[in-house]
Amino acid sequence: MILEQLINGITLGSIYAIVALGYTLVFGVLDILNMAHGEIFMFGAFMGVLVTNTLKLPLIVAFLVAIGVTAILGFLLETLALRPLRGKKGVSHLAPLISTIGVSIFLENLAHHFFGAGNHPFRTSFSEMSFQIGTVTVYAVQIVIFVIAVLLMVGLSFWLSKTKAGKALRACAESLEAASILGVNTKKMITTTVIIASVMGGIAGVLVGMAFNSVSPQMGLSMGLKGLAIIILGGMGNVKGAMAGGLILGLAETLVVVFGESGYRDAIAFALIIIILLVRPQGLFGKASEARR
Amino acid sequence: MVLEVRGITKRFGGIQALTDVTFQVGKGEVFGLIGPNGAGKTTMFNIITSMFPPTMGEVIFMGKKLTGLKPHEVTEAGVCRTFQNIRLFPEMTVLENVTVGQHCRTKSGVWSSVFRTGAQKQEEKSIREKALELLRLVGLEELQDTFADNLAYGQQRRLEIARALASDPKLLLLDEPAAGMNESETKDLFDLIQNIKKLGITVLLIEHDMPLVMRICDRLIVLNFGKEIAQGTPEEIKNNPEVIEAYLGREEEEDLA
Amino acid sequence: MLAELINPYYLQVLSFILINIILGVSIYITLSTGQLSLGHAGFMGIGAYASAILTLDYHMPLVVGIVVGAILAGIVGLCIGIPTLRLQGVYLAIATLGFGEVIRVLFINLEGLTKGAVGISSIPHIGRELVKGLQDFGFKASMIGLKNNQLISLSVFLLLLIITLLIIAFFIRQTNSRVGRAFAAIKMDERAAEAMGVNITYYKVLAFAQGAMVAGFAGALFAHVTAYISPADFSYHRAVEILIFAIFGGSEVIWGPIFGAAFLTAMPEILREVNEYRYMIYGVLLVVMMAFRPQGLIDTQMIYKLKQRRKKKGVS
Repeated sequence: MILEQLINGITLGSIYAIVALGYTLVFGVLDILNMAHGEIFMFGAFMGVLVTNTLKLPLIVAFLVAIGVTAILGFLLETLALRPLRGKKGVSHLAPLISTIGVSIFLENLAHHFFGAGNHPFRTSFSEMSFQIGTVTVYAVQIVIFVIAVLLMVGLSFWLSKTKAGKALRACAESLEAASILGVNTKKMITTTVIIASVMGGIAGVLVGMAFNSVSPQMGLSMGLKGLAIIILGGMGNVKGAMAGGLILGLAETLVVVFGESGYRDAIAFALIIIILLVRPQGLFGKASEARR
Repeated sequence: MVLEVRGITKRFGGIQALTDVTFQVGKGEVFGLIGPNGAGKTTMFNIITSMFPPTMGEVIFMGKKLTGLKPHEVTEAGVCRTFQNIRLFPEMTVLENVTVGQHCRTKSGVWSSVFRTGAQKQEEKSIREKALELLRLVGLEELQDTFADNLAYGQQRRLEIARALASDPKLLLLDEPAAGMNESETKDLFDLIQNIKKLGITVLLIEHDMPLVMRICDRLIVLNFGKEIAQGTPEEIKNNPEVIEAYLGREEEEDLA
Repeated sequence: MLAELINPYYLQVLSFILINIILGVSIYITLSTGQLSLGHAGFMGIGAYASAILTLDYHMPLVVGIVVGAILAGIVGLCIGIPTLRLQGVYLAIATLGFGEVIRVLFINLEGLTKGAVGISSIPHIGRELVKGLQDFGFKASMIGLKNNQLISLSVFLLLLIITLLIIAFFIRQTNSRVGRAFAAIKMDERAAEAMGVNITYYKVLAFAQGAMVAGFAGALFAHVTAYISPADFSYHRAVEILIFAIFGGSEVIWGPIFGAAFLTAMPEILREVNEYRYMIYGVLLVVMMAFRPQGLIDTQMIYKLKQRRKKKGVS
């Protein structure tokens, strides 16, 4: 029983980690909290529903469509909501936050309009498939989610540390100005970052659809807040912190459900945000010198 | 002594910004704080005004310890400053900027303001009168309704001085007041500092304009890389070999760059 | 003649506009020290629930319920405002967003007190209570040629109008005082403000608690005007809606959020088709405002020019 819950927690946590990575990438490079990330994630989930349920196409197509749509959303987010604010004189640091809140509320209600308010089931050919290991039941979906999540994390880490583009991106994260002096095309790098972050959100969306078998326009907000909680837990802009934070939140939520307080499951993330910001604003894995001023 | 700075040391991470700096400023003096860029002068101002704490040492003002106080408490105690990179309230008018300076010398709160009590009205009137008087002193009276943001550079510097004077300081800290000023503006500034001195206010001055410093300061301290290299009257400083070297060395670097 | 003019529906819309104006003022106060709160829906909810529960379960008079609701929201604001002081800008926004969601989850889960997701219904209605009071004095709707429901709506509207005007007057006076100047100084440059002797801790907490209290007050009024509240009334959407009053109308002068609240509440009533797309329009508005006029439609310069013009007219 506990072991099963542990597996549930890890599955959930690995999805959270992917969502959080999207936040971290954008924050690391742009110093912006992208409040629309949760809604982009939700669009990814709906693409999954659309492809597998309505069009009856295989899951792999669902992933491809989700990737395509969220990439476009990421591009639009950057060009319409973020770029116009960049480098403008007298724009407060709250402006990008407010602008992305605008995008989030727009996308949520757009989804509401297209898909209706209710929950949509998300069926895959192997959603009922499971097997026993001793007394423990493991669902195939969980394994798929976990494998994809790990692949994504490893892939991103590899890309960031080993490839030229990834190195350029890290240079941008250090200092946009310095990177541009060193000949990095920062405009292109920023757009790439936002698109990659959005695509990760989209993939996570499909995975969540598979895990919970349910998709709704409101899921973006709750997942968005969880992503925020995780990066605050793991330290802003910290890739490894985001992964660890995701797993911690996933396990914590599963434990609360085990102890029968499922109504408060969603509150954990929000309470975490408040507590960590107050007690250890640099995050569990952040450096203490990062002043929040 | 108005101000006693005792053994101030400040480290930022691995960087030693100030090392064991000690000096005293007497009542009514204009005391200069000079040195090449990065010598730790503004850091010293930030420590005196408690913008951040020193790593070691303490600051005593008229027998009262300033170290550990909050910045607004330092202002209440009678120490006020201007900023090197002008920090006016840009969307306030010139007059409003000076009224904010009087904040800690006035006391109307929410209720007296909302119910416009007699005392509050009286206070508002006196705030306005005093602000106008200070604007007259710095020569910005005509521009009282202009937004601070729209002032010329030199005017902004003078407004900062007026705003600081509004808090009735006994010690005024001026951080490079002549920076970016032309010759006639600098001359006006000289007169202004003389007038401030006449009001009985002690002045601590950071400045790069050497002729101005040498003419106006009673005594000076010279910092280089966060350490004191000399202290004394302008005459003594001018002839100090270490000071000459510090400044000449800097000029050489600039030539190379 | 009068009886035909008074349409309860329009009066209700006007009443909601007034409540939203109070909410707009509440976010303006917090913003006037440069603090962005996404928790105002939570404070509003605290006021609403507290007053609803006190009047319904404990049979307190409406006035007591509303005042206690507002004060409670203010106290919670104080409790949130003090520890979050060290958080700057974005982090404060996120912490208050978290707070708002915690409050909403509590409303859903504390079923014994709040009736959970279903919400609380048949909350005492301000208008009915007022009219009942008037009847005790022997005053009847028919005496001025009105139907009873017309008098109810009219009394709600007039009461809210008076309250709103008082609140606006309160904060205009505060803004034009030593306190208001301290707020403005902190908003423009916190470090400079504290160097000029402004106790930034005190004024930031004051502004935060005032904002929370006014939001709680508006929430309590809301509960007694709609007679029904549920956790969904105080969600993230509400927080964004309150914020947009100030972002659209402007957050530099009090007239900004007042205009924003009035315009954005009236718009869907005038243009029916708009209502369906309301939140999508809000979203687009936020993005467009940030890109083209981040200070909002009405700003200091505009008010300043108007004043100058009036001055000149006065002279000539």
